[in-house]
Amino acid sequence: MTPGAALPPAAYATALASLPGMGPARLTAVLAVEPPEAAWHHVAEGRGWSDPAVVRALGQRAATLVPAWQAAAPGIDPAQVWHRVVAAGVGVAVAGSPAFPPALVGDVEPPAVVFHRGAPEAISGPRVAVVGTRRCSSTGAGVAFELGRDLAAAGVAVVSGLASGIDGAAHRGALAAGGAPPIGVVATGLDVVYPAGQHELWRTVTDAGVMLSEAPLGTKPERWRFPARNRIIAALADVVVVVESHRRGGSLHTVDEADRRGRDVMAVPGSVRSAASAGTNALLAEGRAPVCSVDDVLVALGLAGRSAAGGGPSRDRRATPHGADQPVLDAVGWQPSTLDQLLARTGLSLGVLALALDRLCDAGWLARRGGWYERIAASGQQASVR
Amino acid sequence: MLASVRSATLLGVEGRPVRVEVHVSSGLPGFTVVGLPDTTCREARDRVRAALLSSGLAWPNARVTVNLAPPGLRKVGAGLDLAIAVGLLAASEQVPLGSLAGRAFVGELGLDGSLRSVPGVLPLIDALVEGEVVVPRASTVEAQLVGRHVVRPVATLAAVAGALAGRSPWPDPPGPVEPPAPPPGPDLAEVRGQPAARYALEVAAAGGHHLLLVGPPGAGKTMLARRLPGLLPDLAPDEALEATCIHSAAGLPLPPGGLIRRPPFRAPHHGASAVSLVGGGSHTMQPGEVSLAHRGVLFLDELGEFEPAVLDNLRQPLEEGVIRVARAAAKVAFPARLLLVGAMNPCPCGEGTAPGACRCTPTARARYARRLSGPLVDRFDLRVEVGRPDVAELLSGGSGEPTAQVAGRVAAARGQASARGVAANAQLPAWRLDDVAPLDADATRLVERTLRAGRLTGRGLGGVRRVARTIADLAGDDGDLSAAHLSAALALRAEPAFLDGRAA
Repeated sequence: MTPGAALPPAAYATALASLPGMGPARLTAVLAVEPPEAAWHHVAEGRGWSDPAVVRALGQRAATLVPAWQAAAPGIDPAQVWHRVVAAGVGVAVAGSPAFPPALVGDVEPPAVVFHRGAPEAISGPRVAVVGTRRCSSTGAGVAFELGRDLAAAGVAVVSGLASGIDGAAHRGALAAGGAPPIGVVATGLDVVYPAGQHELWRTVTDAGVMLSEAPLGTKPERWRFPARNRIIAALADVVVVVESHRRGGSLHTVDEADRRGRDVMAVPGSVRSAASAGTNALLAEGRAPVCSVDDVLVALGLAGRSAAGGGPSRDRRATPHGADQPVLDAVGWQPSTLDQLLARTGLSLGVLALALDRLCDAGWLARRGGWYERIAASGQQASVR
Repeated sequence: MLASVRSATLLGVEGRPVRVEVHVSSGLPGFTVVGLPDTTCREARDRVRAALLSSGLAWPNARVTVNLAPPGLRKVGAGLDLAIAVGLLAASEQVPLGSLAGRAFVGELGLDGSLRSVPGVLPLIDALVEGEVVVPRASTVEAQLVGRHVVRPVATLAAVAGALAGRSPWPDPPGPVEPPAPPPGPDLAEVRGQPAARYALEVAAAGGHHLLLVGPPGAGKTMLARRLPGLLPDLAPDEALEATCIHSAAGLPLPPGGLIRRPPFRAPHHGASAVSLVGGGSHTMQPGEVSLAHRGVLFLDELGEFEPAVLDNLRQPLEEGVIRVARAAAKVAFPARLLLVGAMNPCPCGEGTAPGACRCTPTARARYARRLSGPLVDRFDLRVEVGRPDVAELLSGGSGEPTAQVAGRVAAARGQASARGVAANAQLPAWRLDDVAPLDADATRLVERTLRAGRLTGRGLGGVRRVARTIADLAGDDGDLSAAHLSAALALRAEPAFLDGRAA
């Protein structure tokens, strides 16, 4: 980029978003007063703000923020910031520009600027957020995988946060179906993969659908950005499905954000003994609609009958368990079980039981995690929980 | 006048003979000790002087030089007091020089002339070649364990001088005490439920396989571990002597009969330093917990709370059965053939066993997992998740098999191992596995599948085969290993959940 060449407003908006302490509320307020370029110079010169909306957004930190921004501004060259964005193949949409996702226009708390990679036009058809805890059971991961797969197959885009656990499993399912494009919303910069180890998922979601973030490139994971991200997930979705959540978890924050926007919230029922289902069961107790299969979600979307999964659960491709193995499978039930519990329940000797468990694991009926055995709900689901 | 007296000092857990030479000559009165004495040993002068005077013996008003030979060996402790005093008596012609021949002397002196016991009497006496040893009365039983010497237990320095001078006979040794039966340890019958963990204990005892118990607080990991020594057979005479030597050298109290006949159980706290665990010290060279657990059980509770660097010191003794400690002063090999039992919570919050129950952040879990190095986890051939027992099991479940019954099967399985020339199957060398632990066709297929699925590494396979051999021995099957044996061995080798993906 040649020096002096005119920069688009998005470049200045990106530079503004890169300032320390510049969250979506402050950026929205500042950009409502002045266009990006003027706002940038305003900040760089360290002038104070008189507009009441900006003053409210700055809050008590106004006295420190204005000098902090002025101090940071010389280190941020809008031209360089812009060059980096362009080189990374990342799209920038400022609120009010035509590129801004229509689904976020008119939101109660819209992002001031959205960075996206992949195909932003993916945000068009019906969308369902599938969210849940990172510390999920493999049953929960299995349900998330199936929901993601069956929703995508029915043409419904899956919105999720690409975290480990439920979020990741839902997107893996959506990718496996190859139907509607997946939509990932993350809290870090689009070049900062978090949690580490999700590179492959980030790449495949970008290739098949779109990745969104309101954080500029290079933004590290910060605590406050995750709830902020959750509000975008809630804003993008027509229905929010919580697969598993602990009694107090980030997914319940997504539920609050969905409530603010009048989105339907549904929850997958879980065992009363599973800590990972305590939050979702509480949601059901509040009167939210339960999700027992993808059809429940499709009905809520008004898309009943669109289930492309066909036969659904009846189409199980797994070999029927060996006669002697069925009692072992029944003993595992739908709870994670230890070897101790299984020995006590079946009364078998360790050798016989271990062989049966091996066969059931090999046939895809059970998953082994540490010393625990968990039942797998449906065939073809080898979703990694991590 | 010059007198030469035989005694011994400790180096690690072994005794080394020492010649105490005492020279008394005219000259300016003084007392010098040469020959690498440590501080305690150098202070012998003051104890010996006071003891002589309180025993009614004369302190030579002359120049006294004491040489402790060999001069390159560091002499530790007060065990040479008696030898120095006797040498002084002989050199000052209070007892005949000839009375020292064929005798050795071990013991500490009190200022009142009484003889006190010192740590390591057993290894000290074992190092002596003289036919007769004079020891403190309190050390009689320990000194008699060696069995090669005429033991002369004496209570005071005056009695020693009297006997050497021929004024009085040697005091009679105390009558042999019949060692009372050791108190029974905790019994396995008190453990309710937990069949897998109980079985893992049985396999660990029978095959000498190291055992890792993973479970939430209150699951009974410690309770289980404390019942392991009870399953092990009595120590063979030579093993008992080895273990007793180590405990004696460490100055630990010995059981009433003197000999440690039951496998020791050591449970150091997780704040233990590397030296306290593996042994050493600047020049005293004390045995550490791994050696105190020699021929017995070392129980490391809260394994995840030990310093990782301290734990990694365990790798060599676990592999070789011996720990070599090198210091500037000396290099010492401590025996350390032990059965390691580790217990730990699955994660910092302790609830991480059941999927979905953990409250820890992924970072905290990862940090916790890093505290246990992969090579150390590899040493555990048995890894069992211990869950909290069901309430119903606690309240109504019948008591399990008693220790005696399980110990019977363990002894039978150990008998089969010794027929193969090893004390336990865990010591079977890799090259003998094809010979003593062959796989039948089903078992071979199972192993191939498991290796291909990445659930097992080549190194882990050896451990699994040894455990499977033990399982077959316990069941009385002496043919090829079947798929059921291997499958059971694999089930007892759960990859700890917190290791998430690190190969087993």
